[in-house]
Amino acid sequence: MSFNPMDSELTRRRLLQFLGALGITSVSGATLAGLEGAIREAHAQAAPGSVMPKLQAMSPNWPDMIEIWRQVTRDYAELGIDVEVQQGTLDTWVSQVVGEHKLPHLVSMSWGGAPDRMDPDFFLNEILNSKRAAKGGLNYGHYENPEYDKAANAQRVEVDEEKRRALVMEAQAIAAKDNPLMVLFHRDIIQAYNKAKFKGVTPIFGNGIGYPYAPLAYMGIEALTPRKMVKVTSIYDIASLNPFLTPEVYNSSILRLMYATFVTRDKDANIMPWAAESWTLVDPTTMDIVLRPNQTFHDGKPVTVEDVKFTFDYILKWKFPALARVVDSVKSAEITGDNTVRLKLNQPYAAFVPNVLGYAFIAPKHVWEKVPGDSGLASPADWPNDQPIGSGPWKYVEWRKGEYLNLAAHKEFFMPAKLDALVMLPVPAIENQIGMMERGEADVFGWTMDVTQGKRLGQNPEIEIVQTPTHGLHEIRFNLVMPPLDNPALRLALQHATDRKKYLDIIFSGAGTLANNSLITPVLKQWSNPDVPNPEPSLDKARQVLKDAGFTWDGNGKLKLPS
Amino acid sequence: MMFWRYAGRRLAQTVITLFLLLTIMFVMFRLIPGDPTTMLLGTGELPPEAQQQLRAAWGLDRPMWEQYLSYLANLARGDLGLSLYFRRPVMEVVLPMLGNTLILMAPILVIALAIGIWAGAYLGWHRGERVEQIGSLIALLPRALPIFWIAILLLMLFSYKLGWFPIGGMREQFFYPETWIQALPGYDLAMHLALPVIAGAIYFISDPLMITRTAMLEVRGEDYMQFARAQGLSNRRLRQVARRNAFLPVLTYIAIMVGFALGGQVLLEYVFSWPGMGRLMVNSVAQRDYPVAQATFFLMAAVVIILNFIVDLLYGWLDPRIAYD
Repeated sequence: MSFNPMDSELTRRRLLQFLGALGITSVSGATLAGLEGAIREAHAQAAPGSVMPKLQAMSPNWPDMIEIWRQVTRDYAELGIDVEVQQGTLDTWVSQVVGEHKLPHLVSMSWGGAPDRMDPDFFLNEILNSKRAAKGGLNYGHYENPEYDKAANAQRVEVDEEKRRALVMEAQAIAAKDNPLMVLFHRDIIQAYNKAKFKGVTPIFGNGIGYPYAPLAYMGIEALTPRKMVKVTSIYDIASLNPFLTPEVYNSSILRLMYATFVTRDKDANIMPWAAESWTLVDPTTMDIVLRPNQTFHDGKPVTVEDVKFTFDYILKWKFPALARVVDSVKSAEITGDNTVRLKLNQPYAAFVPNVLGYAFIAPKHVWEKVPGDSGLASPADWPNDQPIGSGPWKYVEWRKGEYLNLAAHKEFFMPAKLDALVMLPVPAIENQIGMMERGEADVFGWTMDVTQGKRLGQNPEIEIVQTPTHGLHEIRFNLVMPPLDNPALRLALQHATDRKKYLDIIFSGAGTLANNSLITPVLKQWSNPDVPNPEPSLDKARQVLKDAGFTWDGNGKLKLPS
Repeated sequence: MMFWRYAGRRLAQTVITLFLLLTIMFVMFRLIPGDPTTMLLGTGELPPEAQQQLRAAWGLDRPMWEQYLSYLANLARGDLGLSLYFRRPVMEVVLPMLGNTLILMAPILVIALAIGIWAGAYLGWHRGERVEQIGSLIALLPRALPIFWIAILLLMLFSYKLGWFPIGGMREQFFYPETWIQALPGYDLAMHLALPVIAGAIYFISDPLMITRTAMLEVRGEDYMQFARAQGLSNRRLRQVARRNAFLPVLTYIAIMVGFALGGQVLLEYVFSWPGMGRLMVNSVAQRDYPVAQATFFLMAAVVIILNFIVDLLYGWLDPRIAYD
């Protein structure tokens, strides 16, 4: 029997993946103790001129992240820098790093392709703006540069698209010069569907064919067999049927299949009209929405401007935390015509159309005006809403927690689905989702798999594999307030020592887009700045940068701090 | 008389244990860093200001002792509170999952106990013989294998390769029978149950088996067994006498096993996509859904404690010497 190292590498990775999945069961306590230790270590400062202390890192315990750190650790060792990685479950990671801003030198994370992250405002302001450098904010690396804030804040309120683009480019250039983080790559979404049973499956940028983020994803699917129902897998289940309750991306996306938003994204990430026929920015803080005529709710009642005004009033009255973006930006809603509603904004907001009109939805007045009523509930967000009535392309049929969610096509929707039914199946293990695809128990693989899994599944003559680029990203954040990472030369050297292309090739078989030292993917050409300073991968350059900044090496090749 | 005093003492102990358990659990889950609003921060969908608003609305900003008192007060009225993740009454969340878990675990327990006790008694009786040596080895083997590994092997063979059983879940939601066998009531559920039950039964069989075997060995050496043999009882009758006496330690074990069974088997549920208590418990801890986490863990622990109490009483009744301690 011959031994093939490639095989064993794959088996090992598969095993790692499975163990990673089982990681959900590991107790947070152990990782917490480890993290505390790591931070203590990191704080223990070596004197100038002595060997640099080990860099302490915190990572979610996902297989791809573990692989990234395996590569990074090897490369940094070449520079005489030792890295110690602490792995934790996602809940530990979030509560410590985001909730408490308790982090060691380096922290890794990956961000999925939620639709509101397509607009540059999310990454520019949530991750790098200094106003988010407080507990609970995503700027846990504490990047603070007034010049950057100025550009990032200005683009947010600049409604002239050309001027805004210039500001977005400027913000990226400033950040890239400061190196507050290393954006590695934008990994492609790899999904699959059964081509023997379905056609018309359209990949949507950032969403692929299976995620529910873009409602358009399921609209064009046509059945080739008498069964006009598609079964889509996911690792998640929803938690609630109440659209006012949940800010969680998967859950709120599913609810927006039932509750139509005003706009949505087409396959190339362009904004397209949905429940609204058109919209006009009258002045920077006034937006007119023209409602698409002849829409009906799932119970047959017509959708009117009354319902639109009611929904905005309702959101503003109850200040639902899940709809904080709407609450923050909308001041009032007035009916100005048979089909027109005028929104007054608190301040100009450049991402208003995608992030508010693409997120807010229409709720039927005749249902919600009675909620909470005398139910004794503190807020309508606590209402179970067991029979959701929306005006979206899919209507609710049945939900069995942990088993399935059945939706039926709302044939009166202006762009009715070609299928009759949509079934979402929560299956926690990805291997099982793949198995269900092979056995015909599921029709669309709605999560993301790696290239090798895709190749194997693609051997099945009935299965088509679909690869879609996304704006989601993998990154490693520097803790800028923890020496020695406050030294810009060290950060630049680490950028040079980080070979993103090699990692993408090894870990994801090259399926993705290399990042451009910016949070915005180069695929979004209108927003990505192609000219930002982008340190080329080179250990020699890294050594030179360190040498120039006064770093030296001891007899064992360990990096010594400048004296 | 002695028996009732013994029962009273044990009842008091049980109540105190349960109360301590409630308290420890209340504190324990709140010691884990983060709260139910924290997980929503990680995605950036919930701005930090909105998080504060949510914490206030859910009463999480109040001091812990205040939250504890209102928890006890609600509990006294039989109100377990609202799940913070599902925003529904805790029982509405827990009961369906508990039902699903019972459907899965009941057959596993029955099979594991029936085969385990019978085989354990058999092996114990045949101590030192070849059948006992080989049998014990086989019985110990599944205990050493991780349950998810057994489950994956079964899935690979019977679902992926042979295609006899579905890959996971509890039912096919649009099931159209094609033959009369498939039209039998419960057919679909049985098909979904088969593999997880086999995997669970294989895993759970070792404990009752080995405990019964050891108990059997002890009983075999007892004087009364010598005496029974001297009386000229048949081998079959002797084994019956021994088996009954060997049952006491197994009884204790059953109490513990049932308790843990109610908690479901996370790994088994994960591999077979079974919507049960195990996954609910793990998720409720990860989501910091305190009310659900407390209720599920308490339920599991309470069943162990209460069953232990009943077993102790049974002991006192089965073996009156115990009540005189």
